Amino acid sequence: MTSIPTPRPVAAAPRRSPGQVLRRLWDSYSFRVLIQSLVTIWAVTTFTFVLIRLMPGNPIQIRIDQLMNRGLTFEEAEQQAANLFDFDPDAPILEQYVDYIGKLARGDLGNSILGGGTPVNSIILEFLPWTLFSVGLGLLLSFLLGTLLGVIIAYRRGGFLDNFITTVSSILYGIPDYVIALLLILVVGVQLQWFQVGQMRGAYNPAIEPGFTLEFIASIFQHAILPVGTYILSTTGSWVLAMKSSTLSTLGEDFITVAKARGLSETRILSAYVGRNALLPLVTRLAISIGFVVSGSVIVEEFFQYPGLGRRLLRAITERDYTTMQGIFLVISISVVAANALSDLLLGWLDPRVRVGKGRGR
Amino acid sequence: MKRYIALLLAVVMLVGIVPVSAQEAPEGTWLGTWPYVLPPEHDLGSFTASGLAANLGNVYRSLVEMPFAFYMWSSGEYEPMLASEWGFTEDNTAYRVTINADAMWSDGSPVTSADVLATYSIGRIRGWSQYNYISEVRAIDDKTVEFVFSGEPSLVAERLILKEYIVAAANYGELAARADEIVAAGLTRDSEEWAALASDIGAFKPDVLLASGPYTYTLDTVNDAFMTMQWQPNSIFSGSVQFGEIKLWAGETEVTTPLVLSGELAHSTNVYPANTVTSFESAGINLVTIPRAYGPALLFQHDTYPFNIVEVRQAMAYAINRDENAFLTNGIGASGTVYMSGILDDMVTLLLDEETVESLNRYEYNLETAAGLMETAGFTLDDEGKWVDAEGNRISVEYKFPAEFADFSGASQNAIDQLNAFGFDITARANPWQEVAADIRAGNFQLSVWSWAQGSPFATSQFFGPIQRFNYVGLTDGQIGMNFQMEFEYNGEMVNLQDMINNASTGLDVEAQRERAGDVATIINDLMPFIPLNVMLSVEPMNEAAIAGVPDDSDPIWLNPSGVDHPIIWLILQGTLSDAQ
Repeated sequence: MTSIPTPRPVAAAPRRSPGQVLRRLWDSYSFRVLIQSLVTIWAVTTFTFVLIRLMPGNPIQIRIDQLMNRGLTFEEAEQQAANLFDFDPDAPILEQYVDYIGKLARGDLGNSILGGGTPVNSIILEFLPWTLFSVGLGLLLSFLLGTLLGVIIAYRRGGFLDNFITTVSSILYGIPDYVIALLLILVVGVQLQWFQVGQMRGAYNPAIEPGFTLEFIASIFQHAILPVGTYILSTTGSWVLAMKSSTLSTLGEDFITVAKARGLSETRILSAYVGRNALLPLVTRLAISIGFVVSGSVIVEEFFQYPGLGRRLLRAITERDYTTMQGIFLVISISVVAANALSDLLLGWLDPRVRVGKGRGR
Repeated sequence: MKRYIALLLAVVMLVGIVPVSAQEAPEGTWLGTWPYVLPPEHDLGSFTASGLAANLGNVYRSLVEMPFAFYMWSSGEYEPMLASEWGFTEDNTAYRVTINADAMWSDGSPVTSADVLATYSIGRIRGWSQYNYISEVRAIDDKTVEFVFSGEPSLVAERLILKEYIVAAANYGELAARADEIVAAGLTRDSEEWAALASDIGAFKPDVLLASGPYTYTLDTVNDAFMTMQWQPNSIFSGSVQFGEIKLWAGETEVTTPLVLSGELAHSTNVYPANTVTSFESAGINLVTIPRAYGPALLFQHDTYPFNIVEVRQAMAYAINRDENAFLTNGIGASGTVYMSGILDDMVTLLLDEETVESLNRYEYNLETAAGLMETAGFTLDDEGKWVDAEGNRISVEYKFPAEFADFSGASQNAIDQLNAFGFDITARANPWQEVAADIRAGNFQLSVWSWAQGSPFATSQFFGPIQRFNYVGLTDGQIGMNFQMEFEYNGEMVNLQDMINNASTGLDVEAQRERAGDVATIINDLMPFIPLNVMLSVEPMNEAAIAGVPDDSDPIWLNPSGVDHPIIWLILQGTLSDAQ
C-alpha cells in the first residue's frame, strides 16, 4: 500500500497585529523617549503660538502707536500700518494656527512680519551660528574650568585654596550675567580703557574680508572674548560648587577606601575612580545646559551688540514679530527637548534600571 | 607744435566734461547712533517696515532722501533743501514748489517733477495726510509742481508738503504708474487692486538707494555693530557738508551709554537718565538741550467718578508740584508745565494772543486751593487724611502706567505719591506699554499717563494728543478712551471742541488762527480734561572732542525740537559742524 504523501503545510511566520507592533515599539525605551520628545515639541509649539498672541498688542497695533506718536490720526495710522505687513491680526486664531502648522510640516517657518518678506529660516541661520559659537564655547570652557577647580578644591578641602575658590565661585554664581557684562564694559572698557568698547562690538571686524584666514578667525575670537568671558564668569562658579560637592561625595564611597587600601596611586584613584564617578551627575546637567545654549543670553548679546539669536529675539518680542518669535522659540524648544532626550538616553545607557518599562522587567 | 596744441585742447576738453563729481569727499567722520534694523532684514525701501524710515529715523533720513525744506522754529520760516522756491499760488487754490535746478540724485540724474509726482502717487495709495488737504499733484514743468487744494488753503498742508521725503521715480516709477492707473479707474481703497498695490509698495526693496542728500549707503556697509553712510558728490549739499562719512552705532540708550563715555560716539538723540547725564558732564562731554516737544500727561477716564467732576480735576492740577514731577521724570531734561493750555509752553506766545495767555490759569502748586476745590466738589478729609464724599467713599482708584518707559513711570509714580499725600488713595499699576496703550484706547482705566503735544508748530497738532488721540473722537471700533465729551455747553453756549481743534489752524490768517487756538486753550485750561504734567527736553551729548563748530547755547537753532526738524540736520548740511580730529 502506497500512500500519497500529503504536502506538509509550510509553517507560516507568526504575524503580529499593528497593536502588537506598537506595543513592542512602546516597550523600547529609546522609542518612548523619541515620542515623548516629539509630543513635547508639538505641545510647546502650540503653547507658544497661543501665548504669543495673548501678549498685549500686535505688530500692526504697535506700528499704529508709533505712527500716532508722529501725529497721525488713528485711521491714517491704521491704514499705513496695515500696508506695511503681510499679516492679518483679525484672522481667526485657528486659521492662523492651521496655516502655521501646515507650513511647519514643510519646514517653512514663514516670513518675518517686520522684515518685509525675509524668511525666518534665513534669519535663524544668520544669527544662530554666532550664539552656538559664543555660548557653546563659554559653556565648554566654564565646564572644563569648573570641574577641574572643583576636583582640586575637593582634594584640598578646608585649605586656603578651597576657601578662596569656593567664596569666589559663590559670589560669581550669585551675580547675574548682565551685571558682569555691564561691569566688563564700564569698568574694564570705559574706566580702565583696556579695550575700545565700540571695537569689540559685533561678531568680527567688518573691515576684514570674511574667509578662512588667520586674520578673520582671530577677529572672530577677539570679538567673542567679552560675551564668552561673561558666560565663563557667570557660570563657572556653579560648575565648581557642583563638582566639589560631587567629588566630596564620591571620596566618601567605600570603593575609594578599597582602592586606597589596595595601594593604588593617587593619580589612578583620581582619574579612574573619583573623577569619572563624580562627573556622572554633571554630565546630565551639561547635556541640559547644551540645550539652553541656543537661547543664548538675550541681555548679554544686546549689551555687546553680538549678533546672536537672543539679540534678535529681543527685537522680535519688543515689536511683536510673531513669526520670528515662533521660529526662534521653536529652535530653542527643539534644542532643549533634544538635549533632555539625549540626557535620558545617556542616563538609560549608564543606568539600565532607567530603561525598564512599567512592571515589565525588561 | 600743432600736435602739442591739439593735445592741450584734448586735455582741456577732457577736464571740461568731467562732472562736478570730481570734487573730493570731505575728511572726517560723524559719530552718531540710530537703532537700525540688522541684516538680513535691513533694506533700502522708502516705504517698507525695515527700510529707510526705520533705519535712519527722521534725523539721518533727511541727509539721504531730502524733503523740500527745513523749518526753523525760531523764525517760523522754511529754509531750502530740495526746493528753491515755494508758496501759495496767487489765487490760493494750490501750493507751488520749484525744485532746485541743481538738485540731482546720486546717480547723476536730475531731480524732476516726475519724482515728486511718483512720490505722491504712492502716497495716495498709502493714505498720506496730505490728501486731506489736496486733491491732486500736477507738474507745471520739469522742475515745478503744484499741489491743488481740495478745500481751503492751509499752512498745515504747507508743512506736510514741504517736509515730505521725495523718492526717485527711477526706483518707484513703476509702482507710481500702477497707482495712477488705479486712481484713474476710479477704484477706491476698498478695492482689491488698491490693497494689492499697497502691499506691493510695502514690500518693494530697491537694490540701489538713490539719494538726493549728500550721503548714501549700500547694504554692504551695514553690519552688526554700526552702519556707515558715504558722502556722494551729486547733492546740492555735497559741497557744504564737512563729513566724509556718517557712522551710526546700532542700539538704544543702554547700549550707547558706554560709547558716549568712551568717546566713540559723539552725538546721540537717546533719552539718558539723569545720573547718566551727570556722568557725561563729569567726563567733560558737552551737552546740548533742545525741546522734545512732548511730555507726560495725567489722563482721566471721564466715566470714572469723581474724575467727571471738573473741580476734582482742577484740584489735582493744583495738588501736583509739577517742577518736582518734572525732575523725577527726566532730571534736568524736563520742566514743569507752566501754562496748562494744551500747547507747549515755548509755543504759547506764538500760537496764542497776549490776552489769552494772560488769562490762563497756571495752576501753581497750592494745596490750600486744591483742598478748597475738593470741598466745593463735596469732599471732606477723614481721620486718616483721605478725601471722602458725602457717602464716605474714598477716591480709591488705579493708575496704570507703562513699566518700560522710565520717564512716564517716574512722572506717574511721583504724581501718585503727591496725590496720595494730598488725600487720594491711588494704587500704582505698572504694565507693558502695549497693554497700557490698549487699555487707554478701550477706556479700561481710571487714571493713566501718555504724551501730550507734539513737535509741530501748529495748535491743531499740539492739541491732538491726548484729547483726540485717546478719546472716542479719534478712535475706531467703538473704543471710548478717555471719553471726554467734546460737545457741551460752555459759558452758556454749545461748543464742539472737536471741530474747534480741527479748525484751529486752518486758513492762512495767522491772527485768526491765534484767536481760534485761544478759544480751545481756554477751555482746556479751564476744564482740565487731562493734566499736562511736564514738558520734556532732549539732553543730547555733543562731544566737542570729536565735533567742531557746535553753536553756543544761545543760538536759535537749538529752539528746533527733536524729530523731523532736529537742528543736527541743518548743522550738518550747512557744514557748520565738522570733525574736530
